[in-house]
Amino acid sequence: METVRGTKKNLLHRLIQARAADSHVGIALVLLLLVIVQTLVLGFDYGSFGQWFTAWFRNWVNILRNNAGVGIVALGMTFVIITGGIDLAVGSTLVATGAVIMTLIDTGATGILGQMGIAGAPAYATAVVIALVMGYVLGTGIGLLITKGRIAPFIATLGAMKIFRSVTQHFMQGYNPRVPRGFLQISNLQMGGLMFMPILYWVIIALVLHYVSRRTTFGRQVIAVGSNERAAQLSGVNVGRVKTRVYSLMGILVAIASIVQVARIGSMDYANAGSGMEMDAIAAAVVGGTSMAGGRGTILGTFMGMLIIAVMNNLLNLFGVPPFLREAFKGLIVVLAVLLQRKQMT
Amino acid sequence: MKNITKSFGTNQVLKDVSITIHDGEICALIGENGAGKSTLMNILGGVHQTDSGAIFLDGQRVHFANPAQSLGAGIAFIHQELNLINDLPIYENMFIGRELKGRWGRLDLAAMEQATQDIFDRMDIDIDPKTMVRDLDASYKQIVEICRAILMDASVIIMDEPTTSLTEPEIERVFQMMRTLRDQGVGIIFISHKLGEVMEICQRYLVLRDGELVAEGDVADVTMDDIARFMVGKALIIDQLTRTKNIGEEVLRLEGFTHAKSFRGVDLTVRSGEILGVTGLLGDGRSALFQTVFGADRNTSGNMFLSGKQVKISSTEQALQMGIGYLPRNRKENGIIKDMNVLDNASIVTWPLFATRGVLDTDKHVEIFQTQRRELDITLQTLMDPINTLSGGNQQKVVLAKWLAANPKLLILDNPTQGVDVGAKEEIYEAILRLAAEGMAIVVLSSEAQEIIRLCDRALVMYHGQIQGEVSGETMTEQHIMRLATGGILDAV
Repeated sequence: METVRGTKKNLLHRLIQARAADSHVGIALVLLLLVIVQTLVLGFDYGSFGQWFTAWFRNWVNILRNNAGVGIVALGMTFVIITGGIDLAVGSTLVATGAVIMTLIDTGATGILGQMGIAGAPAYATAVVIALVMGYVLGTGIGLLITKGRIAPFIATLGAMKIFRSVTQHFMQGYNPRVPRGFLQISNLQMGGLMFMPILYWVIIALVLHYVSRRTTFGRQVIAVGSNERAAQLSGVNVGRVKTRVYSLMGILVAIASIVQVARIGSMDYANAGSGMEMDAIAAAVVGGTSMAGGRGTILGTFMGMLIIAVMNNLLNLFGVPPFLREAFKGLIVVLAVLLQRKQMT
Repeated sequence: MKNITKSFGTNQVLKDVSITIHDGEICALIGENGAGKSTLMNILGGVHQTDSGAIFLDGQRVHFANPAQSLGAGIAFIHQELNLINDLPIYENMFIGRELKGRWGRLDLAAMEQATQDIFDRMDIDIDPKTMVRDLDASYKQIVEICRAILMDASVIIMDEPTTSLTEPEIERVFQMMRTLRDQGVGIIFISHKLGEVMEICQRYLVLRDGELVAEGDVADVTMDDIARFMVGKALIIDQLTRTKNIGEEVLRLEGFTHAKSFRGVDLTVRSGEILGVTGLLGDGRSALFQTVFGADRNTSGNMFLSGKQVKISSTEQALQMGIGYLPRNRKENGIIKDMNVLDNASIVTWPLFATRGVLDTDKHVEIFQTQRRELDITLQTLMDPINTLSGGNQQKVVLAKWLAANPKLLILDNPTQGVDVGAKEEIYEAILRLAAEGMAIVVLSSEAQEIIRLCDRALVMYHGQIQGEVSGETMTEQHIMRLATGGILDAV
């Protein structure tokens, strides 16, 4: 018995050491554990293996699709947090962009593109491009406030958060645009009876950003700036521009999330849509090993962090935990994740 | 302390070291970086525990599990980074953690103030205990720390390089205080790299090298050269280093370069292939001046010319593109990026230079760094190791390497050998000489007169933000530099 315990301890010790070398290993292990639990909870009480697999697979597609929007935002949030910043305005930017998209493609009498005689695919493409530009402009604006205006990221984005949502709500009062069916295909296009599109966008963006973070000047400069801003500046890095670009990128990603969301449900609740999104995105990044102090964090980590939170949510749902209590579990995961990471560092 | 041994992992940093400190003496603890001074003192101060051996205090064997116990036994450790809270007055700082309290936990400010005043009277110090620590200069902060040690009835005070950030008159003030303490029977351990100070203030010396006590004795019996020899184990070279001089066109010219706070009316020129030294004491403004040249700050007036053409530089990125490099002082704060690996740290400057449409050319960076690694003799395991795993000297070489990769026309080196051991120092010097021989214009900022003399063709000495004078050839001596740096002028030669 003693020896068994001894080897177990050794194994655990080795795992912890492996984690210290690459924090992804630990996160992946936690994720794997959750996947196993999720599989067990779903049970095997199906007619055949084929039926079981279909049910299992559908469940996964649902989990991933429901979290694709926040997942995309969390990827951008990772860059923001690595530079030592924070973006509280993502939810409001999402609503503002969403409102603009819907006003553009509205099939009713007041739809802007409709009035100009643009409909169908050209209208959707125009709306998407305008949404992306708008996300870029809003994000860049926030970035410039932080870098040129020298306002703390928390304050600048808190301000933007209030402004964007309030203005959107004001202008969208009593206006219920109708989203054309064609636009919904962006998120709801079916492949093999399953709706993959949001997941596809999420995964592609994650892969691209992973590459950007590791292999491009910008990606490396983001980490350098976050780890030691002064040293980066004295190495000829244009710190202001790197930071501004991080918020621009965040804006574009929020716009993508907004497009996905509008296309998924065909409407938007301007008061509540995206509220709490900033916290969910931050939680995913933190669970994935991103340091709030800056300088440390990876796209892969955040992607897995988002999955951990998503699976956890789904499990709580399956276990029948009352909805109000689920947020408490989310909070618990975040605190535990950071606690574990702290333990390993010492 | 008897037979002290200490290892970190497989690295034995102290090998059977025995030292004795008497009351009423100032004893110098000398050694190169990594010789084991800090570890030895951290054991005495209760920060680390010894592997074997024991500490005796007044003949009694003692054991310190933590700094509080050591302090309780009367051993005060004054660290290089002072432990004072700027926003509190002196007397509250004196009692931090042990505040005098009245009824209901109310702070007894009057009693604390009085106790502080008593100590100041005893030590003959003329400052108001109510002064905010923020408003004190570096020497008085040091003095407040010492007074705090006295307040705790310390019988041994360890001072870790107390004079590094002090100016000449400030150092004298701290020394005066140390003498007073010595006369009152306190034993002081003075850790310093400045041998001149050791000769001036200490009675005895202890020299550590590679974790062993290699020499000890009375300061009166030895010269500075002797101690320096004990430290390095071989005779120090003090002649000017020679190279093939290849001095060409003017690269940088400043005219009336001024920044409201840091420097005023600076005129200078540097030519290609030339090594210009700029020196002075703390607060001379040389770092601010050249950080401005490098675009990290803006000047308020004056003009800057690069290769004869007037330029305005508003960012470090622009400076880099114009062929200016700047190796910063304080490697830890300004030089290295701790969350990145060796290769990233060695290539950060050249990322945008070699990238194609933003994508890094990692192969090229590896190739360049491998060459530099041989040239600069950088010791490391793999390129992917965190930069922190390298020794100070190797870290500094990596920081130098990132600038060499950019091959600038003008390279500014700010304290290039700060916190670097003697061996690495020589290798960095060799690299600098090689670059100059290849035609790079080099500016060396240093507070070490010896470094300036050995390395530079001529040197400008700054004093309170202005150029006080220039020395070269015959006039480039430590005495002349010190005279200019303290605000004096050279007699007509």
